[in-house]
Amino acid sequence: MHSTLKTSFAALVAAGVTATAGFADGHASLSGELNIISDMSNPAPRAVMEGLAADFDAMHPDLTVNLTIVDREAWKTQIRNALSANPPDVVNWYAANRMRPYVDAGLFMDISDVWEEEAFDALASTKGAMTLDGAQWGVPYTYYQWGVYYRKDIFDQFGLEEPTNWEEELANCQTLLDNGIKCYTIGTKFLWTAGGWFDYINSRTNGYDFHMELARGEVPWTDDRVRQTFANWRQLIDMGAFIDDHQTYSWQEALPFMVNGEAAAYLMGNFAVAAMRDGGLGDDQLDFYQFPVINPDVDYAEDAPTDTFHIASGATNVDAAKEFLRYVTSAEVQTAINAGDALGQLPVNANSSIDDDKFLEQGFDMLSNNAGGGIMQFFDRDFDAEMASVGMEGLQEFMVFPDNLDDILERLEETRQRIYN
Amino acid sequence: MFPTPLEKTSRSWQISYQVLLPIALIIWLLPLIAVANFSIKPESDFVNGNYWGLPGSFEALNNYGKVFFESNMPRYLWNSLWITIPTVIGAVALSCMAGFALGIYKFKSNLPIFFMFIAGNFVPFQILMVPVRDMTVSLNLYDTNLGLVLFHIAFQTGFCTLFMRNFIRALPFPLIEAARVEGISEWRIFLYVVLPLMKPALAALSVLIFTFIWNDYFWAVVLTQGPDAQPVTAGITEFNSQFRAAYHLMSAGSIVAALPPVLMFFLMQKHFIAGLTLGAVK
Repeated sequence: MHSTLKTSFAALVAAGVTATAGFADGHASLSGELNIISDMSNPAPRAVMEGLAADFDAMHPDLTVNLTIVDREAWKTQIRNALSANPPDVVNWYAANRMRPYVDAGLFMDISDVWEEEAFDALASTKGAMTLDGAQWGVPYTYYQWGVYYRKDIFDQFGLEEPTNWEEELANCQTLLDNGIKCYTIGTKFLWTAGGWFDYINSRTNGYDFHMELARGEVPWTDDRVRQTFANWRQLIDMGAFIDDHQTYSWQEALPFMVNGEAAAYLMGNFAVAAMRDGGLGDDQLDFYQFPVINPDVDYAEDAPTDTFHIASGATNVDAAKEFLRYVTSAEVQTAINAGDALGQLPVNANSSIDDDKFLEQGFDMLSNNAGGGIMQFFDRDFDAEMASVGMEGLQEFMVFPDNLDDILERLEETRQRIYN
Repeated sequence: MFPTPLEKTSRSWQISYQVLLPIALIIWLLPLIAVANFSIKPESDFVNGNYWGLPGSFEALNNYGKVFFESNMPRYLWNSLWITIPTVIGAVALSCMAGFALGIYKFKSNLPIFFMFIAGNFVPFQILMVPVRDMTVSLNLYDTNLGLVLFHIAFQTGFCTLFMRNFIRALPFPLIEAARVEGISEWRIFLYVVLPLMKPALAALSVLIFTFIWNDYFWAVVLTQGPDAQPVTAGITEFNSQFRAAYHLMSAGSIVAALPPVLMFFLMQKHFIAGLTLGAVK
């Protein structure tokens, strides 16, 4: 009796909301429960996710949103279990090849029909990253740009400009080296930072399509085009462009070289800006440029790791789950959740607006207008997990002992044949 | 076999000993000193590369304040207590009883059972990781304090029983015989005769097990996740955000997490050392 009263009251309120606020498209008809498992466990993302769930719950009076937040690292090992036994409706995950195991196992729902809706045109920049086997398997909610963060004051001191092509890049670097400053800081102790360099040099040398073919294991590592990538990279290594002993530093431990002016630039994700600002670099000292062109025949491709929402194939409330995906991809929601006081990253929806921050502005512009080649998800997300781990070891070894290249490539090729065949 | 007492050595050796000792001590303690130093530094010191120098600004209040009021550390400490104390009580209680049975009664399978307890100690616990995790999941005890407590009790009881059995064996048997002659029931003998005599062993074992369990990291990571059940040793990693490790907060958190066992050690020093040697000789 009590519960009937409550639901009818809720229905009444819902009707009122529909009438007054003009929700005419059937939002309020969603009912039942929507179970979400999220990996947004760090304090700021957690607040964002809890806000999303609460707002969505409030928008749909008949719907109960149950949110479970799982530790971000733990989720990487739990997702398979969670999706197969007692699946929730919506889960967090990552774009591109990281979806592969769950798509192949039939654990993610094909949501191509949602992507065909007009509103999803605004998400075109990541459509490729959400596509596997010709279908879309999830939606993005945030990403961040990669690029070269550099000490503007040092560049000004030696009269350097942001390089736009490889010759300028090498010339800039030579000037810096002649003045006793390393061109780039990097910490390869945990390997992945070297993956960023490979992504950029390979995609600038051979293009996005080739890079993705390599990621999918369709091209041998011993291919001449791959060797060309390493030859370009080696130019910088032989000049001594990178700081010494970088294999002993984490990415954070490599920051002091740039903050103290011993190195001029850092190829890194936008999350580095907060750390550099903490270290005392002002916006007049710090600036950003897009990784320069190497081969003028290929278009810019950019690393922009994308975090996503997916519907489990075993979802029980598919209507509500799809509506939730529409909700988190809308321009207003993406603007709000990516703001500086929330995630502090970039919204994927091109109609969103961004905070007044010169790095976010440059990044948003770059990814929305100047990444015609495509969006890469970063080495360890685009490549098969095992290939990526062997691969990044090889990249680190190459940066320290470039003469070992033949050995390294053969080892990677053996791994590729074992994994992909 | 024993080193010559310092007073009997030459003057020059005494001096070099007194000089070398503090140096060795500082080198030995360097990691701890670094952690203590890190815990009062501001975050910017790590970006500037000021690892070993004086703190750029004195942030002890700030860092420790964040640990206590803006993180899940209190919750993790609370979990640690709720895991450690029941385990100590459970393991010690069970092993007292098992030790009493194995130490006092003569029955055929006495030795085999005793050897099984000992053998349990020789199983490298890492190989139990997968089966124990699976069992915990199927019992619905995964990610609960109870699951961790039950496993710790089961695993610690082997060592505790060895310890207790040998201690009870060393008690004068005529005491028990005298009690039997008086017609006292067996469980009252255990409660009123044996247990009071075991006080030093109980204290020593409790201190030992407390530090073992408090410092456990392996099983905490295998059997729990998240602030609902994880103890402080595993919870420290919470200060690693998605992209950055907050070294200053992690250091402050580690110091806080290390305090209870250290306090325990200083307060119960005598028992602790007794615990390490008790049962070693019979």
